[in-house]
Amino acid sequence: MTKMECREFDNYAEQWMEGERQPEAAAHIETCAACRGLIADLEAVRAAAAAWASEEAEPPARVWVSLHAQLEAEGLIRTEEKVSWFARLFPMPLRPALADLALLVLVAGLVTMQSEFRGTPRAMAALESELSRVEKSVVQEMKGRDPAVIASYRKNLAIVDNFIALCEKSVRENPQNDLAREYLYGAYQQKADLLGTMLERGVIGE
Amino acid sequence: LPEAEAIRLAQQGDTAAFERIYQLHSRRVYSLCLRMVGNAAEAEDLTQEAFLQLFRKIHTFRGESAFSTWLHRLAVNVVLMRLRKKTLAETSLEETTEPDEETGGPRKDVGGPDLLLTGSIDRVNLERAIEQLPPGYRMVFVLHDIQGYEHNEIAEIMDCSIGNSKSQLHKARTRLRELLHETLRAKSREKREAARSEAAGHDG
Repeated sequence: MTKMECREFDNYAEQWMEGERQPEAAAHIETCAACRGLIADLEAVRAAAAAWASEEAEPPARVWVSLHAQLEAEGLIRTEEKVSWFARLFPMPLRPALADLALLVLVAGLVTMQSEFRGTPRAMAALESELSRVEKSVVQEMKGRDPAVIASYRKNLAIVDNFIALCEKSVRENPQNDLAREYLYGAYQQKADLLGTMLERGVIGE
Repeated sequence: LPEAEAIRLAQQGDTAAFERIYQLHSRRVYSLCLRMVGNAAEAEDLTQEAFLQLFRKIHTFRGESAFSTWLHRLAVNVVLMRLRKKTLAETSLEETTEPDEETGGPRKDVGGPDLLLTGSIDRVNLERAIEQLPPGYRMVFVLHDIQGYEHNEIAEIMDCSIGNSKSQLHKARTRLRELLHETLRAKSREKREAARSEAAGHDG
């Protein structure tokens, strides 16, 4: 067997690191400090990398939140149908004989209008007037339904109305308070949501 | 929820199934991205992009390959695309893929028996050296030596031959050796200069 040169050993180094150890390469390494050094260094690099292997990092929660939002925006995931608090309060389906589609549009418009809401007395009056008009129509639609359902509906409507009254009082007393206006906005939205859900259930015939 | 069931449900657009798949694989994908780019914010962005591509295509998954291999192939492509875009702006394509070709093989004359890497590679130096590898080498090194994939898996993930994976890995390790030796030499130079300055201070 002829003596292997260092340059030739270069061709064997890859196999050596993969565990394929040719006798001529092994013989060369016995006598060559430089090639022994090469293999020792490559082993050291491999060992340093392996020591790092166990440290896997968890991605921050915001990655999933952001991904979920993107999937939703692209329509790739089936989002659970939003169930309003009102729907949860009324497990029995309501099936009004006649549902006024125009009222649905009105409620949608009402919610849009609320986005501009600044809690001024004029804006409050306008919103209340609209809500009151929708409410009357909904009550009309409910005539003849199960009395227990109607009673439950009235009870919850009263709770929302009380909450609205409290918020309005707070805004009147603290007209510059952003938090008070925010609460009032939320209260109006709850009522609109409640009325909207009633109408939607009627229209869909759930 | 077992993975196979999660995949089936995700193919129907089930949110919980998507989340389950993300939970099962995000750690590994994020670690791969982080090790490849060395920057947490960018790794987050790449992880999101990889999963987004996965979920966009999940309805096409038919189980011909392992799901994790399929996902890693997507992740690897996302990372390499990003790195290549960045690297192309800085260096030529030849430099990003075959830096050792001109020398005809791995160089080993960077150190001698007196300057071995054994016991002297710390995490910071290793990370810095990995960052300097061309994207292709870096990916094979990270997948094999850090993430623990076998060459046949890497070949499938990177759509190359097993021989190619072995060759890229060897070149990556050899290049890392050179880079780490450069660091060692720089450190040793600094020490000598500091000692010299100190001696000069005493003389003065």
